[in-house]
Amino acid sequence: MSVLRQLRKLVLGETWSLPVGVALALGAAGIMRAVDGDDGWWHHAGGFILLGLVGLALTGSLAGALRARHR
Amino acid sequence: MGLTAPHVSLSVPYVSRLAPPASSLAGVAFVLTLIGATLACGLEMLEALAIVLAVGITRRFRDSLIGAAGAALALAALAVVLGPVLISRVPLAPLRVLIGAFLLLFGLEWLRKGVLRLAHLRSPSSSFKEFVEEQEELEGLELPPPGRPDWAGRTIAFKGVLLEGVEVILIVTALGARPGGLAPALIGGGVALIAVIVVGLVLHAPLSRLPETHLKYTVGIVLSTFGVFFAAEGLGVSWPLSDAALLYLAAAFFLISQLQIRLLTRERAGVATA
Repeated sequence: MSVLRQLRKLVLGETWSLPVGVALALGAAGIMRAVDGDDGWWHHAGGFILLGLVGLALTGSLAGALRARHR
Repeated sequence: MGLTAPHVSLSVPYVSRLAPPASSLAGVAFVLTLIGATLACGLEMLEALAIVLAVGITRRFRDSLIGAAGAALALAALAVVLGPVLISRVPLAPLRVLIGAFLLLFGLEWLRKGVLRLAHLRSPSSSFKEFVEEQEELEGLELPPPGRPDWAGRTIAFKGVLLEGVEVILIVTALGARPGGLAPALIGGGVALIAVIVVGLVLHAPLSRLPETHLKYTVGIVLSTFGVFFAAEGLGVSWPLSDAALLYLAAAFFLISQLQIRLLTRERAGVATA
């Protein structure tokens, strides 16, 4: 059981907020790409949007850590 | 990038999919992959070394090394299966998204911890501290008489090396899965292995002097950079300046994380004075 817990921690990390944030960022990016098609604005600007979404995921997980510390 | 087809059929040979891209900027990707693989693998191997040393010093080196060797064999089997299966069976675009997701999970976790440590909201990373803690835990376990196998010691060394090694395998496989990425990822892993063995053979004192917090923060930036780069490419993005995008992505992650360190440090100071 402890090995499974350690494996989960190894792949997903210590918090749920970060993997959930990454999944949301990639999901949102996938939807935008599907809506826009292959040669639209996503093709040129999508990387920067994904970077912004990932930055938000990191910020969200840090805010969670800070809240947990204050409690 | 070298391969721009939206979908590569299953019949594309494994080796041709690993061929380096023709871009003159491929050197940027090579150097960043090398740095990322060396640092990430080196730090994970250091943590494994701390466990093997703790078992060896507290109990017996023979059993500790047997446990570590067993884990190394299991990891070699995993690497042999994982790399070729992933790279040759999964279509290129979903593979890039999958690898990007893995790298983001690892990279952002290292970056998150690095930001918290540099903002003094988490204790600094230290393999030496882990070594001491592991040693203290092992002192309570009874040692079997000489000549009889120490299964407890072997199991602890096996589990420690296996868990740290799985991360090494995943990082090297992910970094090596891009066209031209296998060579720098393997070289980085090899350099890290030699460096860690030298540290282990010579003496374990340098463990306490390594700036692990800063090194792990750097690895977080490099892995997150590759994560966004791969995932975006898998989602049909064409990066301006091709592989050189890795440089401005790394700079962006550095700036974002430095801003967060400043904000968290100010927040901590505000709480302390309140």
